[in-house]
Amino acid sequence: MVAAGTRVGLLAALLLIGVATPVWAQDANAGKAVYERKCMLCHGEKGDGKGPAAELLLPKPRDFTRGLFKIRSTANKTPTDQDLFRIVSDGMPGTTMPAWEVLPERDRRNVVAYIKTFAPDTFKEAPKKLELPKEVSSSEASIKRGKEMFEAIECHKCHGTDGRADGPSRPELKDEWGYPVAPANLTKRWNFRGGRSRAEIATRIANGVLGTPMPAFLDSVEKPEDIWHLTNYIVSLGPDSPQPATLVTVNAVTGAIPDDPAADFWKKIAPHNILLEGQVIVDPRNFNPAIDLVSVRAVYNDKEIAFHLTWDDPSESKGDGKTTFPDAIALQFAPQQPTGTERPYFLMGDANDGVYLLRWEQGKGVGELTAHGPTKLTPIQGAEATGNAAFKNGQYTLVMKRALAATGAERPSFRPRVFTPVAFQAWEGGAGDTGPKMSLTSWYYLRLEEPQSNRRFFIPPVAALLTFGVLGVLVRAARRRAVQ
Amino acid sequence: MRKVFVTLTAMTLVGSAVMLAAGPRLAGAQGGGTVEVEVKYNGAPQVEKLKVNKDTEKCGQETTIEKVAVGPNKGLANAVASAPNAKGAKPVKAVVDQHGCKFVPHVSVMTPGEMELKNSDDILHNIHTYSTANPAINKAQPKFKKTMTEKFEKPEMIKLTCDVHSWMLGWLAVVPGVAAVTDTNGVAKLENVPAGKQKIEVWHSTLGKQDKEVDVKAGQTTKVSFEMKGK
Repeated sequence: MVAAGTRVGLLAALLLIGVATPVWAQDANAGKAVYERKCMLCHGEKGDGKGPAAELLLPKPRDFTRGLFKIRSTANKTPTDQDLFRIVSDGMPGTTMPAWEVLPERDRRNVVAYIKTFAPDTFKEAPKKLELPKEVSSSEASIKRGKEMFEAIECHKCHGTDGRADGPSRPELKDEWGYPVAPANLTKRWNFRGGRSRAEIATRIANGVLGTPMPAFLDSVEKPEDIWHLTNYIVSLGPDSPQPATLVTVNAVTGAIPDDPAADFWKKIAPHNILLEGQVIVDPRNFNPAIDLVSVRAVYNDKEIAFHLTWDDPSESKGDGKTTFPDAIALQFAPQQPTGTERPYFLMGDANDGVYLLRWEQGKGVGELTAHGPTKLTPIQGAEATGNAAFKNGQYTLVMKRALAATGAERPSFRPRVFTPVAFQAWEGGAGDTGPKMSLTSWYYLRLEEPQSNRRFFIPPVAALLTFGVLGVLVRAARRRAVQ
Repeated sequence: MRKVFVTLTAMTLVGSAVMLAAGPRLAGAQGGGTVEVEVKYNGAPQVEKLKVNKDTEKCGQETTIEKVAVGPNKGLANAVASAPNAKGAKPVKAVVDQHGCKFVPHVSVMTPGEMELKNSDDILHNIHTYSTANPAINKAQPKFKKTMTEKFEKPEMIKLTCDVHSWMLGWLAVVPGVAAVTDTNGVAKLENVPAGKQKIEVWHSTLGKQDKEVDVKAGQTTKVSFEMKGK
């Protein structure tokens, strides 16, 4: 009986092997075709990450032949098929690896099988599941403990005191292939390469990120549950998504607008998050933009308009003029309010239609300029814009101000209730941004909200009084009729 | 009381003497000999000086990266001399300390198995190995984690780095036979090498590898010298 059972088991096992092997081979072969169509341009024919496009990219495309995969849910070096499938499907935020969800699932599974053939040694070993410590849900106490641990294990060395990727070891970090690699900005969870969920963050802390300087901390925290306290602290550092704005509202205020970007006044104004992209239309192009988000707060009073900008930049750079340049940021407007839908070319205008720039530069301060293309900038004579910038722990804050009404044909005036086109440009000089090499947006709109008036305070009470009055009259009339 | 103490001391002394005397005899019984390896280098030393830009209170203001350390008489220091095929070698457990933001010693030898990593700096280090035969590790060693035990089971010359302090560089030689690191005179002594023909290998992180065959005689010291050439 036992022998028979064993035999059946053996037969089943043989059948499984017999069935599994050809399917596996077929998968990888089918995957090769998908790979050659979709992946080869970056990852290379041999899977060594040396495709023709690789030169332009940073982080570099993965070299599959080394068998080192950043994102694993496993305790050993071998990722699960699901780990690879997820990266193929969802892509890697903050890198040039796109999400291939558009491909049929079968194609994605096949491509995973093919990728594995580049590092047969890694996949000889079976994936070993990583056992995370028991989950601790977020609470004030847990976040506090997480912050303590963050400081004790010195996460700031790379990730910075406030988590903005500006730590002292940052400039020297290299990956296993010798390419520069940036630590994660912990306040921008949506850019986390391996996902932003708590379980994914805890796994990254426990496991490290293979092939990069990020080490494993599973056995290097005081107590196992500290992995979760750290996770809860990191989650508390920033929002889940950038919540991008579509329109910039300029709030009407009465009284003076403070020049100090740290003034409490600005904390009460709602920010608008504007996403920036690398400029890749003209040379030199910016394929790896360092600045991807600017938070804009805008107000105006009877005389002035002011913009309060906040953006992360890992290094305060004045520039050496060779490899680094001054940090800068600019707001771009049409010189005159466009009458139709026609606007100047978004990339700093062209020879025919110029744009007006309200620009701040490290070491120079705020200026007003006219641009006829990204390299043709002329300062405006008699410019009167002012500003004040501050830099702390990997973040700039800046206030730029100018008169609401302007003189001359080069400078726009701002009027309430009008949709005014605006675009943004930023330069991380420390990363070599200068001239056309910048982060930028296309045209957005800003709108000055209605000037504040006292009408909103007296119209509702008057309306309420009138309503009650009419009601009173009706009630009286009805009563009188009832009495009769 | 005093009598007991005197007796104990005497016993200890006698015991030590017996053990000391038995040492070479034991080796002799196994048929082992000593190989004195001398490594010379005819070129100039290669030493890089670097300004330290972080943790200066622990790491100092300046650090040196000794790519090629040459002592008096052109002796090459920090080379690994080994008899990789020597059978029955005593297990050697390496202890590497991270001290003053340097790996101390700069080059260590061990037989396949466990080794100990110390952090006596009271700041974060991460031990990042560039191993291929052994699993590559990248583990954080925060200030409160004074020692860690790691396993390296395959013979390999392993590069040790720390990403927090990019200048930190060390080497760990996992050698199954008998191995030693050359001193500032370029000399390393391989003890208890079984008698007979043995391959003696010299490896240096910058200058590469050489080997020679040596006839080891039981109970005797055999000298062998190497000359490494610049790359």
